[in-house]
Amino acid sequence: MNIFLHEIRAYGKSTFVWTVSLIALVLFFMSLFPSFAKDADQVNELLQTLPEALRKAVGIEIGHFTSILGFYSYVFMYISLCGAIQAMMIGASILSKEVREKTVDFLLTKPVSRTTIIVSKLSAAFVSIAITSLSFILCAYFIASYVKTETENFNEQAFFLLSFTLFFVQVMFLAIGVIASMLLPKLKSVLSLSLGVVFAFFFIGMFGSTVGEASVRYITPFKYFDSMYIIKNSQYEWSYVIVGLVWIIATFIASFYIYTKRDMNAV
Amino acid sequence: MNIFIRELKALRKSLVIWCLGILAMVAGGMSKYVATESSGQSINDLMASMPKAMQAIMGTGSLDLTTVSGYYGILFLYLMVMTTIHAVMLGANIISKEERDKTAEFLLVKPISRKQVIFSKWMASLIAIFVLNLVTFLISHLMVDYYNKTGESYVIEIAKLMGGMFILQLLFLSLGTSVAASIKHPKRAASISTAVLLIAFFLSMAIDLNENLEILSVFTPFKYFEAKDIISGTGYEAIYITVSALLVVVMTSYTFIAYEKRDLHI
Repeated sequence: MNIFLHEIRAYGKSTFVWTVSLIALVLFFMSLFPSFAKDADQVNELLQTLPEALRKAVGIEIGHFTSILGFYSYVFMYISLCGAIQAMMIGASILSKEVREKTVDFLLTKPVSRTTIIVSKLSAAFVSIAITSLSFILCAYFIASYVKTETENFNEQAFFLLSFTLFFVQVMFLAIGVIASMLLPKLKSVLSLSLGVVFAFFFIGMFGSTVGEASVRYITPFKYFDSMYIIKNSQYEWSYVIVGLVWIIATFIASFYIYTKRDMNAV
Repeated sequence: MNIFIRELKALRKSLVIWCLGILAMVAGGMSKYVATESSGQSINDLMASMPKAMQAIMGTGSLDLTTVSGYYGILFLYLMVMTTIHAVMLGANIISKEERDKTAEFLLVKPISRKQVIFSKWMASLIAIFVLNLVTFLISHLMVDYYNKTGESYVIEIAKLMGGMFILQLLFLSLGTSVAASIKHPKRAASISTAVLLIAFFLSMAIDLNENLEILSVFTPFKYFEAKDIISGTGYEAIYITVSALLVVVMTSYTFIAYEKRDLHI
């Protein structure tokens, strides 16, 4: 419990800064929505005049893009990018920092098992992320209700489902971070690694559709939840959720195994 | 000279990884061009008739998607993000890592001045960002050439884009070094300078979404050299060149001054 509280405190400030930044980001972008909505009306009129075939060729249903949920899902893409960076950084640093800062022998000579250490640390990371995600979702909801146009009501269920994917993406990147720090014992710069991995997945998601849509979507956590699908159907694509959960559990078990067996470099 | 060579060796591995990242990015991005191109002129007309904010969401801006150079212009924004992240982290890490790895005392008791240390590190970073820029140029040129079916050559446009990108890299490199040299806790140098970069990036996105924010362009380097201006032939804008040059000079000199007086945090 001491370790858990210590880690919560150690990450408290950074969790706070991340939470505030994510909320500020969504606030800033959503404040642009009212002027965007005016433009969007023109687009919708324009689209009505186009032949059906052409509308299909463009490949995206622009009607979804111009609604508040569509706009939010565009902004949300970048929110989850930031959230992923936060989660990956916590995951990669929470276990490896002891070795890097030469405090590992101090910690491991305490009368607690390594299992207790890893469980406390991972729950602390988990709680920090949960705090960020949940505060974000609440604030985003208030912001969205505030900026929506009077006539338009948005589907709240879809909104919450979409926002909740932030938490899922974060936990996945937390798992990636933890396993990365286990596999790279000499990790020095957590930030470089995290940014590299997160951006790599982000770009794969953006440009990956050439390799065949479905297979690429399993590679990058950013594509596990298709916002258009959620907006339309108000539910997740369960196969991706299951793959995600399996991946999370597998990495955590592997990390336990590696951490309890590892030969630590003392000072 | 020894520090310079030592740093170059230390940078080699990460530089190779970054180059591979750029390769994947350009190859992956351009391979989608075929799909866009085949859908033909109609997409272009559709995009052109849309409001600016809408184009921004689609990621096109006012670029001509059916030409290979226009399509490359979309990619260029992301290449810019990648290379500037490289530059800013390189700048922050190359200085702060001595304190992070607790080797600062070892280095600074050597019979060289702090100025020389920073100078060698600065030169090594300069080589690294230059190599990355050159590799990006080569890869871009080859990939664009590969998909280019017209007789026109785009080497000059790409070279111009890379020129703009290099200025941004310099800008963010000096941002990274100046933060690392002046901040109290060296551990935070990379995070803080990357945060500045991300804020600048999001600001540039917001400017795309709302024309009223245009006035803020000067605060975000990502608006200094835009693919659509350079490809369409407007070229660089004198004001942004001046601003960047000024910022680079100021931040670099500040790095030297601040590091000279720095109380090492070990």
